[in-house]
Amino acid sequence: MNFLTTELGAMLVVIFIGFLPNEVWRVLGVLFGRRIDPASAWMQWVQAVATALLAAVVARLLLVPSGALVALPLWLRVGAVGSGIAGFLIVRRSVLAGVLVAEAVLVAGAWWLGVSP
Amino acid sequence: MNALPDSHPLDTARPARWFLRGMRGAVSTPGVVLVATFIGFGGLLHDLGFPILAGLLSTLLVWALPAQVILVGGLAAGASLPALAVAVCLSGVRLLPMVVSLMPLMRGPRPRLLSELVCAHFVAVTMWAEGFRLLPKVAPEGRPSYAAGLGFGLTVLSMAGTAIGFYLTGALPGPLAVALLLLTPISFAILLVRNARRPVDWLAIGLGTSISPLVANSPGGLDLFWAGVGGGTLAFLIARVLPGRRA
Repeated sequence: MNFLTTELGAMLVVIFIGFLPNEVWRVLGVLFGRRIDPASAWMQWVQAVATALLAAVVARLLLVPSGALVALPLWLRVGAVGSGIAGFLIVRRSVLAGVLVAEAVLVAGAWWLGVSP
Repeated sequence: MNALPDSHPLDTARPARWFLRGMRGAVSTPGVVLVATFIGFGGLLHDLGFPILAGLLSTLLVWALPAQVILVGGLAAGASLPALAVAVCLSGVRLLPMVVSLMPLMRGPRPRLLSELVCAHFVAVTMWAEGFRLLPKVAPEGRPSYAAGLGFGLTVLSMAGTAIGFYLTGALPGPLAVALLLLTPISFAILLVRNARRPVDWLAIGLGTSISPLVANSPGGLDLFWAGVGGGTLAFLIARVLPGRRA
């Protein structure tokens, strides 16, 4: 379609828009790690922004999905993730249990609805 | 497995051996869960029409799934590149305290900047948790090599997962293909709940989630920016004025 969807264009985007802005924090952690106070108000704000951003990513993937997930009704997408979180909390805070519960609910629901993207 | 002779403790062959042991440490339950989420990422790449080699490069270089999902999802949604760079950068903030807290365990007795940067590159949530579990059992002089081996092992497994997911989506029947795509949001959601301890964390999760659909089609592809910075700042301010905290 355009340059960004070619391998070379996408690789350049990965390096300059993905790798460098993300790696900055790891390098800063090495260089100034001993001098940064994780409990400072500045770091707390930055952590809150990172958490809200990740929550927004999840919400966008579920509420305004692209591709094959569109074929599923909203209640099933949200219900699967909700039951995954419940599974995680109930089964000794096991990430694996949460993922399996969510996937089981989703596959059962999709199969029952006869989804074929 | 033990092709290297067991000679002097400070032999030059030792770092390679610690590295291999670290790679072997990557094969564990958290490693399997990580690979599963990268299979989901590979499925997402395929679904969004993102080229596979660039996708594999993102797993190797970015090595932080939220940043990778923001990047490929944003490109597919037509976000502007500067807005994407800002969103990726903001999502990476959580890596800093992880690096700071894990570095004393990875540094070894004779710190070298280059080896510290290499070890820090591999720090992401799984590496962080596994590092705290495994590194204390490793002799201090072997820790930098062991940490690099562990990180490299997790990266190689995740790149394999990315490729498997990419080529598997097309071949899977409908319900299983969508199951693959749900792996990313479900693992992020569980990660958020697992890491949430203080009121500010729950506020940030709630506000980020609820602001996201409201700004879904904001101009310039800035929706993640508004949901992240707006929701995070609100959560931070509300948590500050919440009653019941120590004065």
